Amino acid sequence: MLEIINLHAEVEGQKILNGLDLKINKGEVHSIMGPNGSGKSTLASIMAGKEDYDITEGDIVYNGESILELAPDERAQQGIFLAFQYPIEIPGVSNGYFLREAFNSINKARGNPPLKPVQFGKLAKEKIKMLKMDESFLKRSLNEGFSGGEKKRNEILQMAILEPLLSILDETDSGLDIDALQIVANGVNSLRSKETSFLVITHYQRLLDYIVPDYVHVLVNGKIVKSGGKELALELESKGYSWLED
Amino acid sequence: MDNLETRLVKDFKDRGLAKHSLEWVGTYRLEGINAAESLGLPSITNEDWRFTSLKDFANRNFSPYISKLLKYKKPKLPDYIKNIDGYFLYMHNGKLALDYEYPFLVQGLEDSFDCPEVKKVLLDSTSTKNKDFFYELGSAFIEYGLFLKVKKREALDKPIVVINTYDSEIDNKFLNTRNIFYFEEESSAEIIEYSFSELNNEYFLNKTATVYIEKNSKVEHLLVEDGSKSSFIFSNLKIIQDKDSHFTTNSILSGGQLIRNNVHPMLNGEGSYSNILGLYLSIEEQLMDNYMFVEHLKANCGSRQLYKGLLNDSSKGVFHGRILVHEEAQQTNAYQTNRNLLLSDSAQVDTKPQLEIYADDVKCSHGATIGQIDKDALLYLQARGINKDKAMLILIKAFTDEVCEPIENPILLDAFHKIVNDWFKKSKLTDLELED
Repeated sequence: MLEIINLHAEVEGQKILNGLDLKINKGEVHSIMGPNGSGKSTLASIMAGKEDYDITEGDIVYNGESILELAPDERAQQGIFLAFQYPIEIPGVSNGYFLREAFNSINKARGNPPLKPVQFGKLAKEKIKMLKMDESFLKRSLNEGFSGGEKKRNEILQMAILEPLLSILDETDSGLDIDALQIVANGVNSLRSKETSFLVITHYQRLLDYIVPDYVHVLVNGKIVKSGGKELALELESKGYSWLED
Repeated sequence: MDNLETRLVKDFKDRGLAKHSLEWVGTYRLEGINAAESLGLPSITNEDWRFTSLKDFANRNFSPYISKLLKYKKPKLPDYIKNIDGYFLYMHNGKLALDYEYPFLVQGLEDSFDCPEVKKVLLDSTSTKNKDFFYELGSAFIEYGLFLKVKKREALDKPIVVINTYDSEIDNKFLNTRNIFYFEEESSAEIIEYSFSELNNEYFLNKTATVYIEKNSKVEHLLVEDGSKSSFIFSNLKIIQDKDSHFTTNSILSGGQLIRNNVHPMLNGEGSYSNILGLYLSIEEQLMDNYMFVEHLKANCGSRQLYKGLLNDSSKGVFHGRILVHEEAQQTNAYQTNRNLLLSDSAQVDTKPQLEIYADDVKCSHGATIGQIDKDALLYLQARGINKDKAMLILIKAFTDEVCEPIENPILLDAFHKIVNDWFKKSKLTDLELED
């Protein structure tokens, strides 16, 4: 489903990714761990299509085609979803309206007719219940004045509504208490299927107790230096990253 | 020197405008022309005109237009105006054109000088603190316009919709109009003033509206200025508010090559409140200069200004927000916000607050921002599958929508959204449409 091949990326002349290779198959959950500044969030941003990076070498191939030239909305329409580390507050745009616009844009790309507000409202309310959120969420301005936990839950709500094929979670666990972490993890787990894949970027092993990965990779200096099963996360938790750094 | 102002003074004298069958009207005009002459056409050395040069305007050969009504056909209006459930009034080239039966008094100003309210409003509304050349000019040439009065305890069931149209008769002319809206105590009403021109003609429009609100009355006002893109529009809106009155005005400015938009609420009765909202939407080379002068004369009054500018191409915006709190006006709450969104690198905005506070127990605040579309917000929307054009439009609409929040009347609110959406379409910001 996703193949990242020898990816080199820099921002303002500073090299961040230095030949990253990663392959994710349908139905798999991969986790990337690594110290601060190793390039984890850069990878997430590049996947979403943020413009600030220069790709100097390598490719990202999704379902057999390079996505490097695709705009962020085209990537989303093809089923790629990034749960942002820092979701943006957008005053004046209601959460409900935004979700419906997003849903219908992706729905259209999939060749389906748009949902009417009432139909969409029903769908949104189901998902909201699943994430133990209040329905008033839909009426509020997008992320405006949301607590850290509410913002992260809102990301997962979007994910649940948009039903992406490949979801990238960029430090979704940061700033969450245990209860919120469980709710978020349940949301993610409910979307796991043979058709969907996940890339979970995190600092801490804790999240991986709830979202159990098939593979764990360690990113250091813009490169994957070690890969293994879920037990690697535990090893990192006790030993830290320094033994993997040059 | 044969400049605009000397020509106007000469015309005033030649036509003997200081003579009127009602002596006070003649005197009022004479005082107007004298004040205009001594003030002179403002130049950029005048602090209130620092950002707007009238040099080019002054060199044009505008001659006064004397309103007359020949054949008048109702204009073709956009559906979102035509379909408003309201009391429609039509003014053409500054003159009241059609006259039906209304549940309020309305007549041409030229036929109203013997009404005591007209005299009262005109003689009361001259603030000594704000001498403006164009306001004085409007007083000097006062004749046409409308006088409208809503009676005591009357609550209008539908908004009053004043349609202003202009045709080629006023090409290269100076057109002066004066509207007086009078609300007796405990009345309530909504007004939509909609001005547009289908022709791209060049004219000099000097329009003054005075809204007089007696105690315990409530008025909501939506002004849409979509006159010819070649015109020069000087608009003065003066509001005099009595005790416990409530006023909301919302201006949507999109016409004119130059608009000077003066808004001057005078909170002249305890417990009165004024909401002064506006949206200036400029493209190409348009210049939109907003001069707010909120005058707190009595205690326990509140005011809020929220003006937002959306500027594209090489257009220019100005916001001057002046608040004057007189010594007597204790416990004043006065807030001012000006926000600007620049859609191009060559658009420009100058914004300036000016607070003069002579009372010691007041709450005043002001704030201004100038920015561009937030790239992170754009990415966020795009990352959810919304294409760039639509995402831009959603962000722009979210920006403009804030100024309609204080409007309570659903018909005015609906009109606001439709007018702004139509502007997005007309000015080709994008081909996309938003739901209203």
